[in-house]
Amino acid sequence: MFRALQQLHEFATSYNLLLLLEGGARTLVLSAAGCVCGFVLGFALAVLRHTAAGWLLPARILGVVYVEMFRRIPFLVTLFLVFYAFQALGLDVPVFWVAVASTCVIGTAYLSEVVRAGFAAVPRAEWDAAATMNFSLLQTLRFVVVPQAWRVVVPPAFAFFLSFIKDSALASQIGVVELTFVGKIFNNRGLMPAIAFGSVLIAYFVISYPLARLGARLEGRLALSRAH
Amino acid sequence: MNYTPHFGQITRYLPYFCGGAAVSLLLATLAFSGGMVIGLLGAMAKTSGGKVLRRFAGAYVTFFTNTPALVQVYFIYFVLPSCGIVLDSFDAVLLGLTLNSGAYLTEVQRAGFASVRRNEVEAAETLGMSRRQVVWYLVVPHIVRTLYPPLTGQFILITLGTSMGAVFGVEELTGRAFSVNAETFRSIEIFTVVGAMYVVVTILASLLLTIAGRSLFRARVSVF
Repeated sequence: MFRALQQLHEFATSYNLLLLLEGGARTLVLSAAGCVCGFVLGFALAVLRHTAAGWLLPARILGVVYVEMFRRIPFLVTLFLVFYAFQALGLDVPVFWVAVASTCVIGTAYLSEVVRAGFAAVPRAEWDAAATMNFSLLQTLRFVVVPQAWRVVVPPAFAFFLSFIKDSALASQIGVVELTFVGKIFNNRGLMPAIAFGSVLIAYFVISYPLARLGARLEGRLALSRAH
Repeated sequence: MNYTPHFGQITRYLPYFCGGAAVSLLLATLAFSGGMVIGLLGAMAKTSGGKVLRRFAGAYVTFFTNTPALVQVYFIYFVLPSCGIVLDSFDAVLLGLTLNSGAYLTEVQRAGFASVRRNEVEAAETLGMSRRQVVWYLVVPHIVRTLYPPLTGQFILITLGTSMGAVFGVEELTGRAFSVNAETFRSIEIFTVVGAMYVVVTILASLLLTIAGRSLFRARVSVF
């Protein structure tokens, strides 16, 4: 017990706290960058899957295969796949960007499904009406679909981002110095594991909990505004 | 790009990988079962427990759903030995995954409990059904049918989550990929094959669960 208190005192240096802060920031930036990129590509994929042109059929099939595939591969395996793919291509990419790219790969698959659910919430008749009025696909999306679909899309997309703050912990395995890696540094430095990983758990909680509350409020308010 | 993939070199490891997939599924099944029990207790505590129980279940769910499963397992793996409890890596990962999935499954099952409509229960009581009959013929089938699809989804997520066992040296599918990688350095080929195996295994699992759910509980599930 005395040892724990003493170690806690040793642990509470500005250097260690700064390391935690830096790790937390990297976790956040990693998840955010990956999810934004995944959302953009996922949106494009959802639009692609919504098209009806015959010549796009192979692309649509590829899209379905992509989504079903990457939703069934563990993030850890995707990380290593992307890592070694960059290596095989002879590209020297920092591990941070490997992790962002992996998040993006997975995010595209999951978020395209989220966007598709949003598209499905807009009645077919409105798509047809827009087409009848000679709206282009972009115009239909901009003026008809997105203004209605975003309420359906935002809560689950935000939930995905939240889940990735936690899943990005696996990026520590390819050497990204995010929160979990900081915990490993503490542990390797000989700090008590309870302090090393306990502090990291608390740090994750401090990041994730307010965002989870925000997400729940967002969902509640959007559900309310949809009811009107 | 001057890399030529050689899948031929790893074909002899396929049976080894299949064994790994079996370990992954075993780990997932055990963690899911344990998580279901915890989740049932948690959901009961949250819906009909006293103030203390409710608070406790709430704190458990909030803590475990807001921290990464990987760090939870790190904590279990490194901290429990200093309390005199030494777990091997399989047990540590299993315990971590069970506690983690228990938190998510608490929320899933609570939502299932909440979906039972008050007036259906009242209608059954009006028909003269006893308390036991109401639970057995109305509440349980209803809960099973509404919960089945999200639960199969959770099972697949847990199966994917077991890949973190590799970090602690558990010889499941990803763990075996790591060891074969260290032997052959055919990294890209190995992780492609292992990724494909996860796809096949989870599709098979979804297929089985869908067939079982549709025939046993008339649940509205689909594979994709």
